[in-house]
Amino acid sequence: MGVRGGGPTRMRWRGAAPTPMRWRVLASSLAIALAPSLAAPLSAQHEMHGAPSAGAWRMIPMDATMPMLPGLEGAVPVVAPFLPGQGMDAAMLPEARPSEIVVMADGDTLDIAVSMVRRTIGGHQSVMFGYNGQYPGPLIQAPKDATLIVRVRNEIEMPTTVHWHGVRLDNRFDGVAGVTQDAIGQGESFTYEVHVPDAGMFWYHPHVREDVQQDLGLFGNLLVTSPDPDHYGPSHREEVFVLDDVLVDEQGLLPWGESAPTHALMGRFGNVMMVNGETDHRLTVDRGEVVRFFLTNVANARTFNVTFGGARVKVVASDVGRFEREQWIESVVIAPAERYVVDVRFDEPGEVAIANTIQAINHFRGEFYPHVDTLSLVTVTDRPAEQAIGTAFETLREHAEVTDEIERFRPFFGREPDHELETTVRVRNLPQSIVLSMEADTLYVPPMEWNDAMPMMNWLSTGEQVTWILRDRRTGAENEEIDWRFDVGDVVKIRIHNTPDSFHPMNHPMHIHGQRFLVLTMDGVENENLVWKDTAIVPVGSTVDLLVEMSNPGRWMMHCHIAEHLHAGMMFGFTVDGGTP
Amino acid sequence: MHADGGPPRCEAPGNARIPLVSTSVSRLASGMNAILTLVTAIGLAGPAATVATPTAHASEAVAAPAGPSHPSMVVAGLPSACAPAPLPGTRPLPPLGPEYYAIELFTTRNVPGSGYARGFADVTVAPSSPFVVALTADGSYRYDVRVSLERMNAPRGGRLVAWVTTPEIDRVVRIGALDEHMSASGSVEWNQFLVVVTLEASDDPAATAWSGPVAFRGMSRSGMMHTMVGHGALQQENCAAYGYGN
Repeated sequence: MGVRGGGPTRMRWRGAAPTPMRWRVLASSLAIALAPSLAAPLSAQHEMHGAPSAGAWRMIPMDATMPMLPGLEGAVPVVAPFLPGQGMDAAMLPEARPSEIVVMADGDTLDIAVSMVRRTIGGHQSVMFGYNGQYPGPLIQAPKDATLIVRVRNEIEMPTTVHWHGVRLDNRFDGVAGVTQDAIGQGESFTYEVHVPDAGMFWYHPHVREDVQQDLGLFGNLLVTSPDPDHYGPSHREEVFVLDDVLVDEQGLLPWGESAPTHALMGRFGNVMMVNGETDHRLTVDRGEVVRFFLTNVANARTFNVTFGGARVKVVASDVGRFEREQWIESVVIAPAERYVVDVRFDEPGEVAIANTIQAINHFRGEFYPHVDTLSLVTVTDRPAEQAIGTAFETLREHAEVTDEIERFRPFFGREPDHELETTVRVRNLPQSIVLSMEADTLYVPPMEWNDAMPMMNWLSTGEQVTWILRDRRTGAENEEIDWRFDVGDVVKIRIHNTPDSFHPMNHPMHIHGQRFLVLTMDGVENENLVWKDTAIVPVGSTVDLLVEMSNPGRWMMHCHIAEHLHAGMMFGFTVDGGTP
Repeated sequence: MHADGGPPRCEAPGNARIPLVSTSVSRLASGMNAILTLVTAIGLAGPAATVATPTAHASEAVAAPAGPSHPSMVVAGLPSACAPAPLPGTRPLPPLGPEYYAIELFTTRNVPGSGYARGFADVTVAPSSPFVVALTADGSYRYDVRVSLERMNAPRGGRLVAWVTTPEIDRVVRIGALDEHMSASGSVEWNQFLVVVTLEASDDPAATAWSGPVAFRGMSRSGMMHTMVGHGALQQENCAAYGYGN
């Protein structure tokens, strides 16, 4: 395993050939014993930050007080680096525009061009991707049960598709390259017929190297409205928040892996948070105003814990519909690809920070520490909002029609799982010190990774060295070897266990294409407030039971929605036979 | 500088300063810990460049607790190929709940009748959350905790009461008095915590801290995170440079 890529000479890592045990013991012991004397001073370890060539590998941003593992100084991923528009002057491209609302009716047609755009992030202009030159892509608004025609033309250098996340549409238009269609090459087009049978907030994004294309800006929302004007209850206004993060340094975007993803262990956590593509998002509301936020997490790997500065918050809906009951909450835990609809009332004049509020982990120090990133700054004026809505806000609505619909599935709640999956990981040819360090530091893995606690090790792990695994516990089949078959109308219980005993356990947001499911239990504890989902978190060490309604025929995917995990193998296909879409 | 003139003692915040076992056992456990850590570090689990994925059966074996707390802290983290078999009499963890985060409670033998007793604190996500994981506003996990004891008779006088506290024992929350089945349930909103069972003179729901002797105690798995600051392979500077020992 050599190191490829341009730039100055890089330390080369060779995969360790099997050696007699005694030599490995001796070598490892010597390495550990000599490490302190061989390690460069802390400042010298980080000298690679800001290497001169923007297109070559350079050290990822990390805390300069964090010492690196011995021998990793100068190490780079084993894949070549990729940045869009290499050699192109970003100034030649149009600046990305904010997302525009496109209101569509049944049968309407929308043309979407996938193209390069210029974005300015942190003072640096970068070449990125956009749908119709917008960032995020157009906010498509359509009524429930409409069928929309979307003609997609690919003008970027990579093949792409468009997947309509959460939409139970005709399988032919699900947008999965190699399964439902061929990838759309540069200069080619594909026409999607997007039928939207469910009201809710959905989103669309590529299903080809999502770790790159999605991270570069190819995502947009699809808001499907209910014919009931009171579907979510009253609010003074509605705001769409697309949550994202991006990894940048003083030179701009950090390269991605060209042939395989980097950050394959934990996913690519960004260091700059964005709301709707903005790093300084702001909002002005009146005192007492009830604002409905449609939250979508389009980040590659980060789960957000969104807090609203102490404002009163209730959750109303998630991926594919409303909760059985509205519920007061203190924050919104939203994993990649999930959506939540929350109503927030801002009662006190002043500034309120909508933030990502987490307890991060510093493995070096062995401790949790609070970390807050402001996502949006809300200015609450002294002008009072209309009181009538404020009163209705205090009432937690119960959605009887949701409960009634779920009732017909209740006979299936107590059944034994039809299928059981286990999530785990397999690694090969990672740098020796990474393997030894992670094998030694196995006392505690948190249920959720809120931050990238090992940025160097994470960056160096590529899809060529890491395979994330979904294993059928009954057959032993892994990833694409799994081939479940169902019939339309089947109601299937799937149990997913996230084993904590693998090399690097991590939470997984599991997504099922084309169908909807209920999260019945979490570690044996019944979910007391059900909602239809298409993506759900499985924390480390936990077991989640999903009840899936197989209503939509075709060949579909199930996978982890951490983009790097997906492209490190964590996916499989299943078939639903019979019926008509 | 430490009072005796030596280098500052490294005491990382978040690590328990309360010994989990008696002194003699602690020394033995520390030695075993060091040996087992070194064994792990030199890769006896398998080829260093390729890590085999444990099977489900093996992972269950790794998760089974065993014996004194220090060895079990390390054992629980070993790859399956190195994990010793569970000790005789080890109770399998309950089938439900995230076994990985369950807490074994060890007797202090301070309370009559507790010599051969053992306990567990099963930790699950608070079901009130609509988000699969339950968090407080500051991002700390919110758990339900169910404490149970085995081979323990009801004390002749007083009541056994379960508590959770921080590793610094600067905040204490009462879970509740153990019932006739030797169990009690409550909740905790800290990322790292100790579970303590004490013998109180009476069951006072308003009590804010224990006053009786500690009968059982155990540390959350998250509390076992150990700092590498100031020693080991990553040592660069004295731990004081990282803010410890002040």
